[in-house]
Amino acid sequence: MGVNQPTALEHVLITTKVEKVMNWARASSVWPMTFGLACCAIEMMAAGASKFDFDRFGAGIFRATPRQSDLMIVAGTVTYKMAPVIKKLYDQMPEPKWVIAMGSCATAGGPFDSYHTIQGVDKVIPVDVFIPGCPPKPESLIYGFLKLQDKIMTSSIADRYKDIFEEVG
Amino acid sequence: MAEPLEPQAPEAPEAPAGPYVYDYLAAPNRQVVLPKTVPLPSLRTYQAEVAAAAAADEAKWQKQLADFEVAKAKAEAEGKDAPKPPVRAVPRKDDNDMKTPWPTEAKAADLLKLQELLGDKVEEIFEQAGERVCQVKKEAILEALKVCRDEASLKYEMLADQSATHYPAAKDFAFSIVYHLTSVSRHQRLRLRVLVPEGFLPDSACSLYPSANWMEREIYDMLGIRFANHPDMTRILCPEDWEGYPLRKEYPTVGLGQRDIDFRDDRGGVLNRLAMVKAGQMGINLKQPKAE
Repeated sequence: MGVNQPTALEHVLITTKVEKVMNWARASSVWPMTFGLACCAIEMMAAGASKFDFDRFGAGIFRATPRQSDLMIVAGTVTYKMAPVIKKLYDQMPEPKWVIAMGSCATAGGPFDSYHTIQGVDKVIPVDVFIPGCPPKPESLIYGFLKLQDKIMTSSIADRYKDIFEEVG
Repeated sequence: MAEPLEPQAPEAPEAPAGPYVYDYLAAPNRQVVLPKTVPLPSLRTYQAEVAAAAAADEAKWQKQLADFEVAKAKAEAEGKDAPKPPVRAVPRKDDNDMKTPWPTEAKAADLLKLQELLGDKVEEIFEQAGERVCQVKKEAILEALKVCRDEASLKYEMLADQSATHYPAAKDFAFSIVYHLTSVSRHQRLRLRVLVPEGFLPDSACSLYPSANWMEREIYDMLGIRFANHPDMTRILCPEDWEGYPLRKEYPTVGLGQRDIDFRDDRGGVLNRLAMVKAGQMGINLKQPKAE
């Protein structure tokens, strides 16, 4: 008989780390905030609608308030007048929170090398995933979101502690 | 004793001192070239241009004739054949040439009526591409708008749009403010125009057309023209602490220093000030008393 045969107890029990369970729970129910600023929002809506169905990944519940959301998808051009608002909304989101910069405008200013546009939303808030494209297809958004899920799954509380409490270069 | 020439080592490219940073101060769209022309459509200007062109053409033709006479006399004196007489050049016609429609004399009854009612307050009336334009004196714009709105034969009930333009080359009329009026009952449109210099405060149209409120705020925000007797002359599109007026010709497209702002900090203390005001309204003292 095989030595590595699981015991009867191991048939019904799974052993894991608490952190991993927490990450799994967080990555599987990321609630995004409704935050469309420009045309990228149309693609974000398409990603949420039935053809692409963002809800398959647990991210289909777009919340209208930052206090109930975990993810801010900055979809569109960020102007100088909008920047303080974005900062305020980001500060209102509860920890843990993530940010996706969707589209060329939110990542690097896009075609608007101009007086009124911020050259990337990362000048205002920290960004986890950048999605290029003008606008990115729903597939791109889903791919970026899967990358974010990978990031959440590999994150640990120690990293978060470092992010929050220690000085970052 | 000459030293043997050593083969020169190819110069290694210098390593950049730091990460690549886009020098937006030297960017091409940061450089401002002020236009030297005033592309303001006007019947008088157009007529003057046409007259100048005709005079130049006539002068050229007279010179050609005089040259021909001189050449003929010379040829006769030398006993040679007479030169060919000059042919006046006909302006070339091109059916595919796309030209901007030029201003023409005003024939519309509305414009003539306006001129009759306002008299010498009207500076110029003309039509261009089927659109009626009436330029009035800058002090009389409110009166002109009132006539347009209240006169029974005009009845322009709606101020559809109000905008402004900037001509830095024109010193005494650096800006023009344009009022696009629409008569819903008569299906007519009319354009009123005033030319104002820098620093002049035109009267606000808010008392006659309430829709002028936001449009005048936008004009102030973008071009810096303040309106007299406006209920709320503040910025509408740009943030409250914006410097400069972005649609002026001397404003660079990249902006005046906005790139240097770090939004992680409070720019200019505006947010802090607003928070103080809000807290004051709610009866909270954010200013902690300092222990001396």
